[in-house]
Amino acid sequence: MAKIELTRNSFIKNILKDRRPQLAVFIVMLVGYIFAIMAGLVGTPVGSHNFSIVFVWIAWWAVLILVAVPFFGRGWCAVCPIPLPGEWLQRGAVLALPDKKPKWLNLRVPKMFRNIWLQNISFLLLALFSSVLLTTPNITGIVLAGMLFAAVGLSTVFERRAFCRYLCPVSGFIGLYSQTAPIELRIKDKQVCANCKAKPCYNGSSAGYGCPWDVFPGGLTQNTYCGLCMECIRTCPHDNIAVNIRPFSADLAKPSTRMDEAFKAFIMLGSAMIYAGVLLGPWGTLKDAAYNVGSSAWLVYALVFLTFIFAILPGFFTLGMLKTKSIVPLKKRFASLSTALIPLGLMFWVAFSLSFVLTNASYILAALSDPLGLGWNLFGTATATWQPMLTIFLAPAQTFALVGGLIWSARTTQKAAQEVKVSPIPVHVYSFVATSLMLWLLL
Amino acid sequence: MPEPTLTQPIQSTVHRTFHKMRSYLSSLLFLMTGLVVVFVPLPASTTAHQERTFQIDARQFSYFPSELNVNAGDTVTIKLVSNDVVHGLYVDAYDVSVEADPGQTATLTFIANKAGAFRFRCNVTCGAMHPFMIGKLTVGSNHWLYRSIGLAILAIMGVIVLIKRKA
Amino acid sequence: MRRAEFVSRFLILVGMALAIGAPILFWSRTPLIHVSTAEAGGWSPDTLRAKVGKPLELHLISDDVVHGFAVGQMEMEGVNVLPGKVTEVTLKFDKPGTYTFFCTRWCGVNHWRMRGTIEVSGPSSEPEPVSVPQYVTLRIDIDAPHDSPVTPENRPSAIHGQQLKATLDISKFNNSDFYRTHSPYQVFEELNSTPLTDSEKWDVVSYIWQSHTTSEALANGKKLFAQNCAACHGEGGGGNGVFADKIAQTGEVSKQTMTGSEEMQMQKPADFTNPTRMLGASPVLLQGKILRGGMGTGMPMWGSIFTEQQIWDLIAYLYSFQFEYEK
Repeated sequence: MAKIELTRNSFIKNILKDRRPQLAVFIVMLVGYIFAIMAGLVGTPVGSHNFSIVFVWIAWWAVLILVAVPFFGRGWCAVCPIPLPGEWLQRGAVLALPDKKPKWLNLRVPKMFRNIWLQNISFLLLALFSSVLLTTPNITGIVLAGMLFAAVGLSTVFERRAFCRYLCPVSGFIGLYSQTAPIELRIKDKQVCANCKAKPCYNGSSAGYGCPWDVFPGGLTQNTYCGLCMECIRTCPHDNIAVNIRPFSADLAKPSTRMDEAFKAFIMLGSAMIYAGVLLGPWGTLKDAAYNVGSSAWLVYALVFLTFIFAILPGFFTLGMLKTKSIVPLKKRFASLSTALIPLGLMFWVAFSLSFVLTNASYILAALSDPLGLGWNLFGTATATWQPMLTIFLAPAQTFALVGGLIWSARTTQKAAQEVKVSPIPVHVYSFVATSLMLWLLL
Repeated sequence: MPEPTLTQPIQSTVHRTFHKMRSYLSSLLFLMTGLVVVFVPLPASTTAHQERTFQIDARQFSYFPSELNVNAGDTVTIKLVSNDVVHGLYVDAYDVSVEADPGQTATLTFIANKAGAFRFRCNVTCGAMHPFMIGKLTVGSNHWLYRSIGLAILAIMGVIVLIKRKA
Repeated sequence: MRRAEFVSRFLILVGMALAIGAPILFWSRTPLIHVSTAEAGGWSPDTLRAKVGKPLELHLISDDVVHGFAVGQMEMEGVNVLPGKVTEVTLKFDKPGTYTFFCTRWCGVNHWRMRGTIEVSGPSSEPEPVSVPQYVTLRIDIDAPHDSPVTPENRPSAIHGQQLKATLDISKFNNSDFYRTHSPYQVFEELNSTPLTDSEKWDVVSYIWQSHTTSEALANGKKLFAQNCAACHGEGGGGNGVFADKIAQTGEVSKQTMTGSEEMQMQKPADFTNPTRMLGASPVLLQGKILRGGMGTGMPMWGSIFTEQQIWDLIAYLYSFQFEYEK
């Protein structure tokens, strides 16, 4: 299947280039985000009836993992409100074009942090506290507020969207999984970029700002770090940047060999499996351990969590590679083959999320009418009772997602194995065992 | 002279078509096997239908016992005993539920006419971890899990066989 | 572009101000009674004010688990107070005084401690007569042991007792004051002048007890027991309710001295199926225990919650753990 260039359509191109529709979406998102913070802080402490829990961990999460990431890659990042106040401060404007020197420090993020290790850590921190985070409105409110303040703070010190690129826990996995998406932003003609001296797409110009994601659009070969903010489309004087529809996981044809990304794949795979077991399983002791943060049971849980992700999962993965001799170094083989876990992990998260989203989506109706638990009934749905939805479809949908993910992952394995000249069979076995485990945990 | 050069292109076209047909047939074979794995009906259980009664103690945030096994067709009675606050018990797919206050055991009776594994969960908000207060009822066997693992085996074999052929 | 920039900034600032201000404004101006388990604070606020004849509108919301609301001494059906949802209750008072409201759905071992008061002010017609419970006027020490020296071999049958009583003169036992002030054992002793066997005497005693109540009263007592007592005393009255062990455990922490000479300790709830204890207790003694509570033993005081009739119904039901009444 060839690529279809969406920006060939002038309506689409103009919508993307025009700052105003994007800003309208931004304002709605930002107001909603702040309302979610306030709901968490002053609303009812009962999570299922608080806007912050229901709209962040059920509604937004469902849209993110079931629609935005699989079909639009970093589509959420394109509309996320977190970096906006900081970015507006940096630019000294909301809509206007750059006409003055930036007044903030605009430091370059130090080299040792220019990777996704901080994002791996921030995601794990949230994951270890997830039982409390997902169920307690004021904790969600504080975390959301914390992310907003961190983004603003980083924007006053560092250049571009430092929070998004290097710290945001969500950005870490959206970036990794965006490689599977059927949408991309790429240049049209390499020669045009080669001849372009100023590179305003990266450096900015009077027409627009340099890439906030610290990416050189001319060199984009993968979706991982492009936040789809459309700034480069506005700045490029040669109209050389396009948004395309392309086959799923086209980026995995040339697998990345970065270790931080490899471990991100294991972090996501492992946490999906642990969440499935702890949150959706029938084992009460695990839930107690996960919820009672600070207790010795929780410490054991945290240790097991981290051991599973950093030792057991990658350990077994590497075991399959140890026997085979290859001219390609082990590290490179490890990183390259671990890209097979990207579609696998994504579908693990889809299957896991389907369960609690379909079970609890009915809370959205009540939370819409009475977001703070004050007795409102804005849309007449405040008395809507909890009722699981589409339950007959849940098990088949989960099987479809997991088996589909296995096929998808296996195809990636074939390609990656070819690249590093090893047999794909050990990874096939690994993916099959992991999938069977996840099927057992969820079904 | 013209003969050898004519047969070679024809031979490779025949080869390619033959390989394409083989790979289509293989894909079809995998697909049919997959459909069989999903849809083949299980032999009907021969165990007589029994009346099964369970006492389930509910506390924040788990059930004890949290896993039940019955045979398809059994009449299942669950006596829900709440140990701390008001809890409920809702059975997925059966869409039946009951709620119990501490000191007032509540009874739920239903016929387990659907086979498979079903989660039961608390349907009365009982504290923070309420959405994750879950147990599991297995009626007969968890046949869908076995079918799914069967599909997974088929899937991985399919990829190995079919993709290899393309290379 | 300057106007667009200005409008945009304005919209953003207004939007953010609304998103921050509106929740705070509405939250601070919505009068709610927040309800949580006793350990987490109970009723907040827990004292309310009202005026005679003026409806009192209450908005209740639970912050954790399912609770209920009712006002004591009114035989009021509990109104459910659900987590995260606001429930409206409107009350109207005819007489001034201090009313107690309480939680009606078990929410933990300290559920019964969830109580608050409503001060109702207004012109009072005449002073309320102070009713002193009979155990006080009769000087019964309700904390002293009340074991019955004799217990029946089999469960006494009221039906059999009814057949036997035809041969006896039990008119004095028909007096309700007599019934209330005597324990089953004492009535058993009174029957010693008759030629009945011990077993037959107990049957007569159980018939006498049944004659002082009705099936409606027993049904009411059963309902009250299930809703208020079973969680500690057990659904079968055996002192083995779901909270029985927790009460005994917390006994280590709370000890209260009474009259300087006795220490009351948190203990396992009474076993109503134990004939030694039950048959030695008169209704008035049981009424005293229910009214006053256990003075640090973990037994709640129900004086401000149950009406007198409710307590007699409950007591009649308690004896049905000992006696076989006709259905």
